[in-house]
Amino acid sequence: MTTLDSRPVATPAPDNYLTFTKGILSWVLTLDHKRIGVMYLVAVLSSFFVGGVMALLVRTKLLFPGEVSWMTAEQYNKAFTLHGAIMVFLVIIPSIPAALGNFVLPIMLGAKDVAFPRLNLFSFYLWIIGAVCAVYSLLAGGFDTGWTFYTPYSTTTEAGGVIPVLVGVFILGFSSIFTGVNFIVTIHKLRPPGMTWFRMPLFLWAVYATAIIQVLATPVLGITVALLVIERAFNIGIFDPSMGGDPVLFQHFFWFYSHPAVYIMILPGMGIISEIIAVHSHRHIFGFRFIAFSSIAIAIFSFLVWGHHMFSSGQSPLMNVLFSAITFSVAIPSAVKVFNWLATLYKGSISLNTTMFYGLAFMFLFTIGGLTGIPLAVLSTDIHLHDTYYVVAHFHYVMMGSALIAMIGGLHHWWPKMTGRMFSEFWGKIGCALVFVGFNVTFFTQFMLGSQGMPRRYYAYQPEFQIYHHISTGGAYIMGLGFVITAIYLIHSLFAGKKAPANPWGGASLEWQCTSPPPHDNFSSTPRVGDCYDFSAVHWDEKQQGYVVDTEAHVAAAGKGH
Amino acid sequence: MLNLIPNLLMQSSSDATLATGQATTPKTFWMPEGASTISREVDWVFNFINYINYFFFVLVVGIMLYFVWKYRQKGREVYARGPSHNTMLELGWTIAPTIIVVVIFFMGFRGFVDMKTPPSNSYQIDVTASKWNWSFKYPNGATSNDLYVPAGKPVKLVMRSEDVLHSFYIRDFRVKQDVVPGRYSSLWFQADEPTGSDKFHWLFCTEFCGKGHSDMNRHVYVLPEKDFDDWVVEQGRWLDKIPAEELYFKAGPQLYARCASCHTLDGKPSTGPSWGNYDGSGNIWQRTDSKTSTHKVDGKSITDLVGDGKAVPNAQSYIRNSILNPGEHLVDGFGNVMPTFRGQLTDKGIDALIGFMQHLDEFDAKGQWTKKPAGTAAAAPAAK
Repeated sequence: MTTLDSRPVATPAPDNYLTFTKGILSWVLTLDHKRIGVMYLVAVLSSFFVGGVMALLVRTKLLFPGEVSWMTAEQYNKAFTLHGAIMVFLVIIPSIPAALGNFVLPIMLGAKDVAFPRLNLFSFYLWIIGAVCAVYSLLAGGFDTGWTFYTPYSTTTEAGGVIPVLVGVFILGFSSIFTGVNFIVTIHKLRPPGMTWFRMPLFLWAVYATAIIQVLATPVLGITVALLVIERAFNIGIFDPSMGGDPVLFQHFFWFYSHPAVYIMILPGMGIISEIIAVHSHRHIFGFRFIAFSSIAIAIFSFLVWGHHMFSSGQSPLMNVLFSAITFSVAIPSAVKVFNWLATLYKGSISLNTTMFYGLAFMFLFTIGGLTGIPLAVLSTDIHLHDTYYVVAHFHYVMMGSALIAMIGGLHHWWPKMTGRMFSEFWGKIGCALVFVGFNVTFFTQFMLGSQGMPRRYYAYQPEFQIYHHISTGGAYIMGLGFVITAIYLIHSLFAGKKAPANPWGGASLEWQCTSPPPHDNFSSTPRVGDCYDFSAVHWDEKQQGYVVDTEAHVAAAGKGH
Repeated sequence: MLNLIPNLLMQSSSDATLATGQATTPKTFWMPEGASTISREVDWVFNFINYINYFFFVLVVGIMLYFVWKYRQKGREVYARGPSHNTMLELGWTIAPTIIVVVIFFMGFRGFVDMKTPPSNSYQIDVTASKWNWSFKYPNGATSNDLYVPAGKPVKLVMRSEDVLHSFYIRDFRVKQDVVPGRYSSLWFQADEPTGSDKFHWLFCTEFCGKGHSDMNRHVYVLPEKDFDDWVVEQGRWLDKIPAEELYFKAGPQLYARCASCHTLDGKPSTGPSWGNYDGSGNIWQRTDSKTSTHKVDGKSITDLVGDGKAVPNAQSYIRNSILNPGEHLVDGFGNVMPTFRGQLTDKGIDALIGFMQHLDEFDAKGQWTKKPAGTAAAAPAAK
């Protein structure tokens, strides 16, 4: 067998996946997981831009406590609803698994593609159809229900776009399910010899746990929104009490999906952080098995805690008590992961590059996001904090400060691999710093806003809250600037960036052993698998300006370890 | 150490023993003023969690920054050897947080039990939520739009909604409960320190309910028990005591306050049609009563509907019906969203509102009586 490190890694092979075939059709009909991943990435980042503009509109309105001439209460309600729906259904849920996961999962695993390439392309087009439905719903009058679609408001509101967007959510759900099925089968069936479960990178463990949730929980969302459409379109009473339905039942259905969905968002992010922290500390991840199993534990427990969104909904006090107790069971595996990442830094050799900045930013923000979940899980304090800005701040720390920051960190981590280009480290750090500072200014302020009693989804508010809103909006502008800078230097790198070596950071997992960008088939021969967190056989190569992995030594070391 | 957990629990619950005569606690960095018997305990638990959070945050971020500085990369040849696992350490940092959260859970649980257990001698007030109003009904039949409660006495609210979900939240009391259509929900609280009638606590709606969601806030007044008793008796009789000819300006503005979230007086349409002149056919009374009205209802001119020998004999009947059966006739361009006020307004109240409409030019755009005789230009409602 020819060894991988004998291949010319510094000069990209002419047949990399970007140049393998040409023409627009070769992209839109591609079955290559890498191209599908790139298309997802473009689609998700475009949606992120739209959702971000909505967020800035909402925050700008909130500079003023009263009515403003350029945005009515109805428009404001539609704007924050659109922000939430886009960010959840079009951005965060597909961002890591479908965009980055699609690109790196088969390569990290040592496979040529996912198990069902056609299903993969189909799920991308389902995403597009779902997004088109969302756009159509705007033309049909928009929707002002909040992303949670609580009944009976959602079945009685006069906004005309409710049914189209629900159809969109239904279709997006199938996109998510198909991606999940694809990844589960790929991980089970396409591992090359030597890629045992415990040699699989933690990102793959996380994506695997995520895929299980996607496959098991998303159908419930589909059924729920289908029932909602039936009730709204045909006046069949399921949730509306005036027709004999039960509005609290909708909340149970909705959160039975949407709480696990929180872990669809955060688990892959945790996977990325495990990769980033280990690779950029150049040292073995601490407590591999604890991290791996904590992902699975989170996936299982995530199904048992949905009722903690409903402590004040009118569900029975006994259920409140049970859900509060079980909720803490999810907190423990999350805490374990943070301690493991900390221990991974110990005695490492930590590269302070942009990617690692994002990794450290994640640890900072996720710690705050996790700890502020405690007063929300505790019954007596949640009653005060529920549906205030405290909740808004908490879930932004988790969903944006953690999941999205991890996604952007992962984007930087694999950017050289995906594009074959290096981005500007200088501007990268500036962008990261602005996003980090802006994020904290925006959302930490909202903890005070919420604990002082400001309810969420308010168009107008009491003057005493104005100072907090001013600070928060200022932070949002700083964050916006950070993202604009990030977009500029990343796009600039596509045209003017330095050519990336195969292994710019010194990673030992398989994706760093094929060229940047990878060839169409990922590997010309079956890759040989070592311990992906064993960096003893990784060396700096001056000629290539990158790292190389001595495969023989790498595989041999792993053999000894097992 | 072994006594720590029971001690913590004891401390939290002894703070919560529903002692009467508690003064309000002032606003702090995190929490607003605390004015109910449970607010101290809630704040105590919140602060306790916060201190634990500060500790763990400083621990995690401190260690992170120290490691990042201490073990920063030097040179390119980088392989670093650190321990790859340590089972005892990992078990330790799994079990320690578990113990902490169990303690915290029980603290929250105790507070919650107090919150959910209204004393048997509670004073009951019925609450009706609708888009976008709160209406409070006291045992003697008195109603109000702001909430008045007696000091030093447990108050139990029994709440229902007429349309969508709402949520009843008094932040200074640390209480919140969704108000759900099709069922009754309840909460209780006890506030010991009177606010007086110039200060108040905020009541917010915290479940998104549409356009007027953020306007669905009211004042909560805590009165000394004797003052409250007087107030509630007065409030029950207030309409009775007003002579018929003074009804429209003495009761009209107060009753209109409940309509104001959907019906303006300045001609600008809101959720419902303005009572002022908005479609060129005069204010609500003029356009309903006039035989030459161009006002459109159900797609037809209102003159086809109202008048001698028509389906509705006169304007008074039309307006009365619009209050009691709002969905029956709809002004063009507006949806069927108004709840019925059947059972909430007495006949005398409806008389007062009709009188208010008949004399609209004596009121300013906010519904305050300007006491100017009809006919002068200055007194006409400002049509902006």
